[in-house]
Amino acid sequence: MIITKKREVQELMENIKNYKSFFLIGCSECASLCGTGNQEAIDALTEALKAEGKDVTGGFVAKTGCQVLGTKVELKPFKEALDKSDCILVMSCGAGTQAAVEIFEDKPVYPTNDSLFLGNMTRFQMFDERCSLCGKCILDKTGGICPVTACPKGILNGPCGGCKDGKCEVSPDIKCAWVRIYERMKKLDKLQEFCDTVLEAKDWSQNIKPRTLATRPEKKEEEKK
Amino acid sequence: MSFKDILNSGKFVVTAEVGPPKGTDIKEMIHHIELLKGKVDALNVTDNQSAVMRICSMAVCRICLDHGVEPILQMTCRDRNRIGLQSDLLGASILNIKNVLCMTGDHVLAGDHKQAKPVYDLESVQLLGVVNSLNNGKDMSGNEMKGSTDFFQGAVVTPEANPLEPQLIKFEKKVRAGARFFQTQAIYDINKFKEFMQYARKFPVKVLAGIVVLKSAGMANFINNNVPGIRVPIELIDELKAAGKEKALDTGLNIAARHIKQLKEENICDGVHIMAIGMEDKVPVIMERAGLL
Repeated sequence: MIITKKREVQELMENIKNYKSFFLIGCSECASLCGTGNQEAIDALTEALKAEGKDVTGGFVAKTGCQVLGTKVELKPFKEALDKSDCILVMSCGAGTQAAVEIFEDKPVYPTNDSLFLGNMTRFQMFDERCSLCGKCILDKTGGICPVTACPKGILNGPCGGCKDGKCEVSPDIKCAWVRIYERMKKLDKLQEFCDTVLEAKDWSQNIKPRTLATRPEKKEEEKK
Repeated sequence: MSFKDILNSGKFVVTAEVGPPKGTDIKEMIHHIELLKGKVDALNVTDNQSAVMRICSMAVCRICLDHGVEPILQMTCRDRNRIGLQSDLLGASILNIKNVLCMTGDHVLAGDHKQAKPVYDLESVQLLGVVNSLNNGKDMSGNEMKGSTDFFQGAVVTPEANPLEPQLIKFEKKVRAGARFFQTQAIYDINKFKEFMQYARKFPVKVLAGIVVLKSAGMANFINNNVPGIRVPIELIDELKAAGKEKALDTGLNIAARHIKQLKEENICDGVHIMAIGMEDKVPVIMERAGLL
């Protein structure tokens, strides 16, 4: 999921100082699990805005805030509250905010969160980055642990000289990704594969932004019309 | 004779290093180069060591050549992508720099530009492969080049890494990628190093043992607590303590000389790489005490 973090109230208030009334859009997916876009978060922000003398005309938790058309449909019943607001606040990730930008052509849209990374929830509201969305997965060759993400250098052929007692030179809180890969492959009796595999430099042309993807069958020209 | 020829001749080789300064005043650096000229077989030039921004390694390598000292270009993958690395290798080649030491490089967080974007488009094993390719007339994408390089390429290894096995596996990958010589992280336990060399001797590569002078017991303790892959045995720390503050450095120099002498006399490895870290003027002293001058 996309891990998000609430912006400091001060920073948010500075961003929106020129606006008076707000409509709040949360998200029931990642941002709810992060506690940044669920109903509780909306209620808390509503209180905070009111305390600053602002109005909140309404708000709701979108099912999937990054889904443009779905969110647009969900917003229909809130027309009156939306019309009364002079600014939209989006309480999900950067994708959710930009979905709202697409929906509200004539209204300013501001994010209340910073989007951090694609992560796993390891415990309640504790998140670890596991995947960098690099475009070409190498987990099949690294014992299922991603060195592109788990190693601060993202290196591909074993631990660097900065590994101290299995910990990373960047921080003792980080276990060396390559020691983890080594230990796992050894445990799975794949040490020979670990020794024999030399990964080539990554093909970063798979990562040129902005990326698009269409997985549905292509429509014929006449159907499009 | 070139560094490569000296290594292959079987002579016990000595390399030291010069750290380019931050800023354009190179008087002191040139003094150190002159001091080591004719004494060491080659001089490593560090590449923004510890991720601290300084003069680039290539320019200082050329200055070494101008002063009659053969340089080893240290090249890390931290600051340049594959285009930059290859381009610099070609540049080094036309400047007559023959030796290159391929490393991944300390993370930018270790240095003085912590907000920099770390690159690591390649890492040490891949960079060795790139040097090999350039030596064979092709760039990394397989394009034919007009004129190839003729580098003697080396790499680094940490004989006392913990855990050791993944480090040794990487060492073997470096050998397979074309490394011809290795300079090791600092070693202080000769018996343990002998064990490493028994293993390393199975491969067709030359190994220079890393020597870092201990200035004090405090420095030894700091290394043990903070520097990855280096272990100073307690006996050496005691020896430094017993020497007292005034004699500690002198004792450190003696320890370095004693180790070098043993490595050479017992034919344990192919040479030593002395990292003086700001005490370049002490390198001749160590060499003299080791019976190398």
